[in-house]
Amino acid sequence: MIKTLFDNKADKIYALAIGLYPRRFREAYAFPMRQAFRDAWSDNALPRLHLLNLLAKDLITSLAKEYLNMFRETYARPALIFNAVILAGISTGIALALYAIPQQVLRNGANDPQIQLATDAVAMLESGAPPSEAISAGNVDMARSLAPFIIAYDDQGKPLASQARLSGGIPVLPAGVFDYVRQHGEERVSWQPILGTTRGVRIAAVVERVGGAHPGFVLAGRSLREVEVREAQVRQMAGLTWIGMIALIVIGTLSYGWLTRPPVQHLATSH
Amino acid sequence: MALTTPKPTPLTPAVFAILLALAEGDKHGYAIMKEAQTPQGGGVPMGPGTLYGTLDRLMRDGLVEETGLTDDERRRYYRLTANGRAAVSAEVARLDGALASARSLGLIHEEGRS
Repeated sequence: MIKTLFDNKADKIYALAIGLYPRRFREAYAFPMRQAFRDAWSDNALPRLHLLNLLAKDLITSLAKEYLNMFRETYARPALIFNAVILAGISTGIALALYAIPQQVLRNGANDPQIQLATDAVAMLESGAPPSEAISAGNVDMARSLAPFIIAYDDQGKPLASQARLSGGIPVLPAGVFDYVRQHGEERVSWQPILGTTRGVRIAAVVERVGGAHPGFVLAGRSLREVEVREAQVRQMAGLTWIGMIALIVIGTLSYGWLTRPPVQHLATSH
Repeated sequence: MALTTPKPTPLTPAVFAILLALAEGDKHGYAIMKEAQTPQGGGVPMGPGTLYGTLDRLMRDGLVEETGLTDDERRRYYRLTANGRAAVSAEVARLDGALASARSLGLIHEEGRS
């Protein structure tokens, strides 16, 4: 009596375990699987402990295998994967453009006041005005202020006059920038001046060549701090847009894959 | 019977054990499980999940088919197809070659065998 109850319990538990398999597999093989279990359970030559151990291992491995198989049949279809990859590529391109275009507009726009300041200062210096006159007095703290400023350098790159200071001194541009401006007349750069212990200050700088009797250079600059804050906002929005588009593609691909999955094939005969 | 080419060797232990068990004759699920577990059947212990999952794929590959006969509405019988027989023969030939090679290398001690 107790043995029969125990046997029925085991049979019911195994029937519940079969319910964990994917639908197609379950519909095709639930009955013969249950029968195989009953045959094994009633086989006195098979130790129960060994059988339970075998069934537990079998359940874990075959469940994983059948779900993987179901996933492969449902989603690993070339047309579905190709569409998803193409859509993901287009979305990534759109997101990159959403970031790159405004970023370039913001960065280039950050040079506008400096272009006018540098051109005016160069004109004054070339007309013979001394640097102290062409560069009006100013005390812009480059580390904190957002105000535009001008620095005049001689032909060797030595500062002559400046409206701005960084850690109490006038920072010097890298020699390569002067060389470039000597050849091309103008350069627009993002400059990270380092003076003393100050780090992390980024300047949108326009450097122009001064000709005439006293050749040299004029640098007009402005902190990029606010522009970089806006660039970060644009990057965040583009990133969120990209995540949203990818999520939609994943949901769409999974839904379409599921709705168009191969129909259940009843390979087996009647139950 | 599906017109497919025999499964390329080597076969997985479970596939080989199932095909070998069916080479003896038509069998139902538990009889295949029991035969596969014996040393002469490949010594591959498998549960119903592995058995029917493997049979499902073997039937799709055209190596095994259901006989349609049953002694119980829940008990189904399976048999090898011609392709299945060719696949198991190819695997046995492959193993036989490996066995001959192992023997020539002195990896198998004949006196230790029963």
